[in-house]
Amino acid sequence: MKKRMKKLVSLLLATAMTTGVLTACGGSASNTDVDLKATTDEYVELKMYLLGDRTPDFDEVYGKINEILKEKLNCTISVDFLSWGEHDTKYSLLFSSEEEFDLIFTASSWGHYEQTVALGGFQPLSEEFIQTFAPDIWDVVPAMAWDQAKINGNIYMVPNYQNEFGQDVIAARSDIMEKVGITQITNWEELKAFYLACAENGIYASQGGPWYQYFQNEGLTTTGGAPKGGELVLFNTQDASDLDFYYLLDWPGFTDYCKQMKELADAGCWSPDVLSSTDERQTGLLTGKTAGMIWNLGSCKNFAKQANAENPDWNVTLCDPVASQPKKVNSYINNGVAININSEHKERAMMVLNEFYTNPEVFDLAMLGIEGKHWEAVGDDQYKVIDESNFGVDSNCNWGWTNCEIKRTEYIEDRTALDDTHDAMIDTWNNNVKAEHPYDSFNFDSTAVSTQFAAVEAAIGTYYDPLVSGLVDDVDASIEELRAALESAGIRDVIAEMEKQAAEHVKNK
Amino acid sequence: MKEQTKFRRFLKKLYKYRVYLLMLAPAVIYTLVFAYYPMTGVVMAFKKYNYQGGIWGSPWNGIENFKFFFKSGQAALVIRNTVLYNILFIVVGTATQIAVAVFLTEIRNKRFRKVSQSMMFLPYFISWVIVGVMAFNIFSSDYGFINRILVSMGFEKFAFYKEPAAWPFILLFFNIWKGVVYGSVMYMAAIMGVDTSIYEAAAIDGANVFQRIFKVTIPSIMPTVIILFLMSIGGIFKGNFDMFYNLVGSNGLLYNATDVIDTLAFRALISSNDFGMSAAIGLFQSVLCFITVLLANKLVSLYDKDYTLF
Repeated sequence: MKKRMKKLVSLLLATAMTTGVLTACGGSASNTDVDLKATTDEYVELKMYLLGDRTPDFDEVYGKINEILKEKLNCTISVDFLSWGEHDTKYSLLFSSEEEFDLIFTASSWGHYEQTVALGGFQPLSEEFIQTFAPDIWDVVPAMAWDQAKINGNIYMVPNYQNEFGQDVIAARSDIMEKVGITQITNWEELKAFYLACAENGIYASQGGPWYQYFQNEGLTTTGGAPKGGELVLFNTQDASDLDFYYLLDWPGFTDYCKQMKELADAGCWSPDVLSSTDERQTGLLTGKTAGMIWNLGSCKNFAKQANAENPDWNVTLCDPVASQPKKVNSYINNGVAININSEHKERAMMVLNEFYTNPEVFDLAMLGIEGKHWEAVGDDQYKVIDESNFGVDSNCNWGWTNCEIKRTEYIEDRTALDDTHDAMIDTWNNNVKAEHPYDSFNFDSTAVSTQFAAVEAAIGTYYDPLVSGLVDDVDASIEELRAALESAGIRDVIAEMEKQAAEHVKNK
Repeated sequence: MKEQTKFRRFLKKLYKYRVYLLMLAPAVIYTLVFAYYPMTGVVMAFKKYNYQGGIWGSPWNGIENFKFFFKSGQAALVIRNTVLYNILFIVVGTATQIAVAVFLTEIRNKRFRKVSQSMMFLPYFISWVIVGVMAFNIFSSDYGFINRILVSMGFEKFAFYKEPAAWPFILLFFNIWKGVVYGSVMYMAAIMGVDTSIYEAAAIDGANVFQRIFKVTIPSIMPTVIILFLMSIGGIFKGNFDMFYNLVGSNGLLYNATDVIDTLAFRALISSNDFGMSAAIGLFQSVLCFITVLLANKLVSLYDKDYTLF
């Protein structure tokens, strides 16, 4: 009896496993071919994934967009959102679960571009395919942007087109600057003096150490796809002839920085709890816990405005702590849209993208909402907000198809000193754009050294964050421990692979 | 010929017990679908996963996926932390759960018992994210409850978030606080099942409260204790990711005392989304747990065969 039960159970198990194998095989047939003669005769419904949250009027606005798409391309599009909190985990699940959709927002590094390409989730876009189905995009997007989007010679996304500056600035309270006798923050020494002066006056300067400002002052920047979000291996972006990689532990600047940070942290320039704090980046400035906030120019301006509205005496202003360096324009693949490799309607998806990207009517709808309800036009190239609460300006993940040639700018009625500072800064930067470095468009593909890469990511956490926040007891000892941990995790293999890929990248340019 | 009669007898029995088998069916189907079918996914641990190939079509990768864990240099540390924390949680947890169960059942006032049990149940429903925020507000240097008190009493501040030695206690406290009553429900059920005539006999023999608890209650619920102990041993190589991640976050200063297998794997793989390596870590933990359960079960069977799980 017992024996027979065993047999029965094993039979059942075998059946279950076979069914599993069969169903999984059926689902994974993928089709990377496209039909260059595809037409719009047949009506189709497309699906797009964006990041963020659905605003109250979103469906109404996209209803208007669908009217245009229906008429021009005989299709409609529905949109699903991956919220900010969950996109890190759910983005890859869309592909592994073979969810049916056509278009998806993507971005280099923060928007999962390289990882998804490495796992084969996006449709490679041939030049012929783009020219056939999105001729207007092909006309407007610069060749440099397509180059940046290339991974192993293939384009996998349509990059956005705008000069977005990747430079972070500091939003600092003027009242405190006056109190401690600091008039400007334009370089490392002045930034450090501001931090120390804040600490002396019993207020935190910011929510952590100004690590990026330090290496940017040295002309360095992060390398796309390198461990720790690109921070572990830097390159000299200001000197196009310098093709070396600066691995942090071989670069004396890192030790120097960590020592200075220990000095600042001990003086009380930021909270000793920064590593465990779950505060948002703006919390310190807005609640008055810190005298400054380091972030990108747009966020700094918005939150400075908010802080000034709530506390008129603070007079928050903007300073560029690396003023002497020419400014880097963000790579065009910092926002973009890709086509799902399992999409059934790749051609139509590309045509739709062409409309979003280059049809001013669709573009305005997606960026600003409905004219007369959410905004009104001022001239041909400006807008004025009527109601921002239900759709928002430029905040519905429409960034993937941002096209600076047709993008409207905001018309500001009651300008403040802050707006002037902001615009003056943009003007200065536009006149001081740095030359292209071959590595600006380089993106490391870690597949070949995935074991070492994961080991490095696992080993680094114990030492790296405490070091750059100046919270370790003994800087030299911690750096040595970090060095030993990374060596045994295989950092040399990772760097060797990076150098190999970088050399190829330069050769292909 | 003999086979056939056997088979026929089997069919006959199948028919005879059809009602029982039908009642059993949902549980069997549930286990097959939700426990056995997903188990086929362990092949992912040996594959270089890509989206096009999926689970079955991706190329094989040997034991490559397991290597990163040992190469990271943290493997010994996180395995040690995981096991020690789990032993601590199991031992202290079981002891407090039994104590709570005994206390609650000893309370004679029914209303008071119900109210206090419900109140102690509440922490179980608070998510670890919220607990993490609560802990930060208790322990932080700037606005933390404890440091405020220390300062107002004229003492130096104590930087909890820089001091690894404090964290085993903090983690233990929150773990117990959150799960103690939920865990004690089983023991209370076991205590309720103890034959009241034994208590009456003990009372006649002149046993006081403590003798009643230690000589009657605890020995009577020993089988339950051992079975629950064996079940929790089954998870000894799995760290409670929710708890460790939300209480410690990315604070590297505390990792030596707080990093467990799950948080290390999370940090290593969150940026590369490597499904194969994640599956490998999961399989590694499960195999170790399986071996531990077998060993523990064997040990228990040496003591008393009736107490074993299988």
